[in-house]
Amino acid sequence: MKPYLSMFLMSARRTFAYRLSALIGWLGGGAILISSLSVWHALLGEGAIAGYDWPMMKAYLVVAWAAGSIGASQGDWRMADRIREGHVATDLTKPVDYQGSRFAEHAGGLATEIPAILIAASAVIAFTGSIPGPANVFLFLLSFACVVPLKFCFTYLTAMLCFWTHNFMGISWAKDAIIWLFSGGLIPLSMLPVWLSVPASLLPFAGITATPAALYLGQATGAEAARLLGLQVFWVLALWFGARLLWRGALRALTVHGG
Amino acid sequence: MFRTMRIYRRSLGAHFRSLLEYEADFWVLIVAGAMFNALNLLFLSAVFAHVPALNGWSYAEAVLLMGVWSVIGGLSPLFFEGVWRLSWMVNQGTLDYPLVRPAPVTVQVFSSGIGLHGVGDIVTGGAMLGWALFHVDVDWTPLTVVIGLVLLASAATIHLSIIAITNAATFWISGPHPFLAIAVHTFEDMIKYPLTIYGAGIRAVYTFVVPFAFVTFFPVSWLLDRSAGWVGLLGPLVAAYCVWLARTVFRRGLRRYDSSGH
Repeated sequence: MKPYLSMFLMSARRTFAYRLSALIGWLGGGAILISSLSVWHALLGEGAIAGYDWPMMKAYLVVAWAAGSIGASQGDWRMADRIREGHVATDLTKPVDYQGSRFAEHAGGLATEIPAILIAASAVIAFTGSIPGPANVFLFLLSFACVVPLKFCFTYLTAMLCFWTHNFMGISWAKDAIIWLFSGGLIPLSMLPVWLSVPASLLPFAGITATPAALYLGQATGAEAARLLGLQVFWVLALWFGARLLWRGALRALTVHGG
Repeated sequence: MFRTMRIYRRSLGAHFRSLLEYEADFWVLIVAGAMFNALNLLFLSAVFAHVPALNGWSYAEAVLLMGVWSVIGGLSPLFFEGVWRLSWMVNQGTLDYPLVRPAPVTVQVFSSGIGLHGVGDIVTGGAMLGWALFHVDVDWTPLTVVIGLVLLASAATIHLSIIAITNAATFWISGPHPFLAIAVHTFEDMIKYPLTIYGAGIRAVYTFVVPFAFVTFFPVSWLLDRSAGWVGLLGPLVAAYCVWLARTVFRRGLRRYDSSGH
């Protein structure tokens, strides 16, 4: 456990070392939060849409933004670059689990992400008035904690595609677009046309925004809440072990030039 | 002038051909660029299934605004991508090469890269724009078309000038990455919605400080004959000012450039 803990701490320290880049990243994230709050404020001025009134929507947008921030300080590029440039070969010689190490690094980002989320939430409250608190704090935190490994798995799986392709930018964007749509980050899933919302509710992406938001807003309680959490945990495990399988295949595709 | 254009075209063409070497990547980038526009459109469609208007803008009008933004936003990766590499060139000292070659430095820098996701933006944005133009209520005359095109060109000029100015900030704010430019660029994305949905502070900054309002909101308001639409006619003036500012900033910056001292 010790090596992973130190990787976690190292990664946390690294984001502090690159303060300016992290700060700009948060500013950019702030622009997204401002535009989504503004557009919904204008839309909900006439009355609630699909069961969402303005205070509820604010809470939804903050949860969605918070989920979007998880992993953002680490970015997708570190692992991808190491694969593309062949440094992954040295990573492979280290006597630690590769996936576990990357996860420790990913989680290290929480040291800056959690304060950023708290600052953003406070700013939203300061500028737009109070937002409703979580309907069930325990269930919400449990579900939000699952966002960390879930987002890690998506980043890890996409970065692994670098074993086969050279251009990571396009793939990374495509992943972001898919997560944005199917997680409920773009718009609450219930507002999507049925042919999109039904598959979206079953896919793993829903666990990133829709599930924590539903638990926060109290849209799901009792058995329904348990079902949603169960589905979320199922996907975490399925993706985590699926990634291990893919990793075995990926190593066979690895070519490192020179030495 | 013709010589400069030719150099620009050939330099860009060379980068384009090098990208075609990786055919799969070529398509991945174009599709990825198109996906975000498709999602923005999906957002509008899903929302307008519930409401008749966004702050007084109908569905077609909102799509028109977003289409203009996508088309203009797609121009910069396609024709201007190189400017994003300026901070790297300054940081590494490789700006020395363009400085000693017999062609304008800016042309060499601007054409030193090409981002194909711009194709996805322009194709999807163009489709949105085309569809919306058929569905909005505009009294078309030859003059409307001419002024519309002038305003579109001005909007593109303003957008590209601001990218150039923020990237040129690297001459003063050292560092290998154009953080200021990236931050400003992210904020520019807010203009995909009608400016009136934002608070007074943002509206003022976007009009007077960093004139993003002239990229989408004012020209489209003019075309749709909305209140204060006449402000859109100032577009060419704002564009001229932005070009002048970009030129000045670039020249001052180049004078500060002292290589990296090998």
